[in-house]
Amino acid sequence: MSKESKSLYSTLEKEALICARCGYCRSDCPVYRVVGWESAAPRGKISMARELFAKKQAGEIPDEFVKRLSQCTLCGACANECSTDIDTRRLWLDLRRRIAALGKEPKAYDAIRDNLLANKNISTFDNDDRLEWAQDLDEPEQLEPRAGAEVAYFVGCVSSFFPQAAQIPLAVAEILTEAEVDFTTMGGDEWCCGFPLISTGFVEDSEEFIKHNALKIKELDIHTLITGCASCYHVWKHDSAKALAGYDLKVMHTTEYLAGLIKQGRIELNELDEVVTYHDPCDLGRNSGIYDAPREIIKSIPGVEFVELNHNRAASLCCGGGGNLQSVDPQIAAKITELRLEEIAATGATIVVSACQQCEQMLITAVQKAKLPVRVMDISQLLLEAMG
Amino acid sequence: MNKDMVQAILNKYGERAADTVFERSLYARDLAPVPAMLVNPLVKTLPDIVVRPANTEEVAEIMKMAFSQNISVTPRAGGSTVYFDSVPVDNGILMDLNLIKGVVSVDQAAMTVTVRAGTTWSELDEYLNPNGLAAKSFPSSAPAATIGGWFCMMGYGIGSMKYGSLLSQVRSIEVVSPEGNILKLSQGTNPGLDWYAASEGTLGVVTQLEVEVRKLNNMKHFLLQLPDPEKMLDTMQEVIDGGIVPYNMHFTDQECLKTMHAMGISPGNMDTGYLIGVDYEGSDEELQQAQVIIETMAGANRSLKLIPGETAELEWKEKFKAMKLKRGGPSVLGAEIWLPIINLPHYLGDVNKMARAYNLNLFSYGHVVTPEHATVMTTFYADETQTIKYIINLSLVKKIHDIGHRYGGHPYGVGLWNSPMVGRIHEPPKLNELRKRKQTVDSKGIMNPGKVYRPPLMLNPFNYALGMNVLAAVRKIFGKGW
Repeated sequence: MSKESKSLYSTLEKEALICARCGYCRSDCPVYRVVGWESAAPRGKISMARELFAKKQAGEIPDEFVKRLSQCTLCGACANECSTDIDTRRLWLDLRRRIAALGKEPKAYDAIRDNLLANKNISTFDNDDRLEWAQDLDEPEQLEPRAGAEVAYFVGCVSSFFPQAAQIPLAVAEILTEAEVDFTTMGGDEWCCGFPLISTGFVEDSEEFIKHNALKIKELDIHTLITGCASCYHVWKHDSAKALAGYDLKVMHTTEYLAGLIKQGRIELNELDEVVTYHDPCDLGRNSGIYDAPREIIKSIPGVEFVELNHNRAASLCCGGGGNLQSVDPQIAAKITELRLEEIAATGATIVVSACQQCEQMLITAVQKAKLPVRVMDISQLLLEAMG
Repeated sequence: MNKDMVQAILNKYGERAADTVFERSLYARDLAPVPAMLVNPLVKTLPDIVVRPANTEEVAEIMKMAFSQNISVTPRAGGSTVYFDSVPVDNGILMDLNLIKGVVSVDQAAMTVTVRAGTTWSELDEYLNPNGLAAKSFPSSAPAATIGGWFCMMGYGIGSMKYGSLLSQVRSIEVVSPEGNILKLSQGTNPGLDWYAASEGTLGVVTQLEVEVRKLNNMKHFLLQLPDPEKMLDTMQEVIDGGIVPYNMHFTDQECLKTMHAMGISPGNMDTGYLIGVDYEGSDEELQQAQVIIETMAGANRSLKLIPGETAELEWKEKFKAMKLKRGGPSVLGAEIWLPIINLPHYLGDVNKMARAYNLNLFSYGHVVTPEHATVMTTFYADETQTIKYIINLSLVKKIHDIGHRYGGHPYGVGLWNSPMVGRIHEPPKLNELRKRKQTVDSKGIMNPGKVYRPPLMLNPFNYALGMNVLAAVRKIFGKGW
């Protein structure tokens, strides 16, 4: 049978009935691997959705069902395996939206939403402090929003506000400066991309964020946007079409853009004597199809020995940090990270790089806990290191 | 099941046991969407407790507890069958075996792997392939089906054509008896392996298997398009007699091809004819010979069209995705039949007649699994949300089985739902032998009861035939527009 790559998603009710309950989705589901109960497996959750929504046989939504729905990283591994080509990631988001509409969402989701509506970012900091990280640059004022720049760097909440991640935007900014790229940021006008609202079921609220960001990009007359956050990238690429209708905006992940700079010879790389492996972020790899650019960057560094993780590209294992799982069940999230860590340790790599700040935070915590002699880096940090 | 025992299991296994309705309800069914209106008067499918043992010793401990109080135990792993094979019919303990997973050892010299029963076939190959080895055969549901589960079912699928049934590849098994004893069985022991193969978990809980493996070889894939079922059979025979045994041979009938085409998923966008997929594995020399065989056949036979190789490659890659057809549903009903391939054209002819008689789209596909036999899946679309119509449509499953029976076939697998036809599956002496084995090994009848040997009273062959035939008549008269 020929392969169909585009989403065939129709409605929650129809897709829940189409599910064959074959169970192909179980083996690769990181949550099922950790929890072990059928109710935590994608087919189990779809089976319950079928009874509740497609057959309307149960009035009340059980709390256990809501809990299981929230125990999902939205990694998309189940969609990859589905024998009936159900776009399960979309189905989970649809279910979370239905649950939120019924007011049954987990309390942790309300906290995320309230904070986002108040601060426009996922931290508790003032959104005007978006460029706090840039103070370590020689000329931080150059990053203030500037109309007509060739490229806008959409920094993302984690890189903007989390001190552990501050080195990532610094690395991106330094590389772009070194390559003489005419770039700017949105400064305090950058709001959260909206992904945390989409993934908690508050889709209507997310639209306000998406609209705002699109409007600001248009006002700045920006036509190329890059972001180093896999989830921000996914929202800009896949969820912003309506807000960007009629406007010419090229959306790229930083890995795509940086790989292009290397090909153009705009970056000089020195030798690095390291064994490097790459963790595919779910929203960048499996859910957006970008596998090659990060690998091209790593392989372009002289002296680096690149080794693949056992599960890579479309078969990659989730880090545990997606889908707001940490907000409802950090223990499960941490156990999932441990599964990935086993594969990283097996490669013998000295550096594991990724292209998502959330993945990197999860891996750093797990590596420290396990005392594994591996450095966790964003790909931009690796590139900057190779630039000397 | 008394509350003390439920509590004892909860105490012992903690987070690995559950007695909430929420968790238990998901084990009260399998792939088959059978309406509660039909199930509930017949059997009690909701287990009293679900427990997930992590090793053979825990399985034995649970069995001892169950045996001491005559509690039914239903073993289950992938839960990927459709006849309620791993669904309780008398409440009791549901034993979820998915934690008993992983490769124990590989013997490169003997070319065997010792593997825990809850490992899926895909997981096994994921382990073996980097070591240059592969499973000799595997089911077409390999991503979900487990090694133990397939052994306890019929064990014919992809690779059986070349390497035989799974039973023929298993060197030894570890099994926990209903009393809770851990047994090591092999070809020479009494009871032997053949007692447990296809026993559907009714004699004990298989926890570990030693299985033969093969060298991971290159493959070549071919797709052949034929104009009618007779020429499809002739071509199958020619391939079988060609001198190189194919690893796998599967087929798709014209109705199935049309259905796939309408959904945009037919191989090479084809919508007419009958397709045979032939897959070879072996040395480069064998593959070259196979290519010569197929190309010579195509050159000598004007009605045989050889489809481009990339389409055949894609067909092989999609070998686990037959369920994609379900997108045309929402539900699919059907029958899987063990059929002599020589009767395939007659069978498909009668299926077409039946389709016309009931104004129904019946489509068939299957695997040739021995030189003489195929497993044929004939299916049709239904809608489980329309309960009454759906139940009436269920009667047509029996009508498909009747066609199979007419041509020397029988249901492939028994479970609960095919138990009324157990007399068609086994000759009386064989059936008596199987019942004796059950009595010998499981005298209390606690091991996955209600399956394989005889139907429940309400589903006895007379009641079943009468009920299904009446419903089919209703379907024929009133249901042509459904």
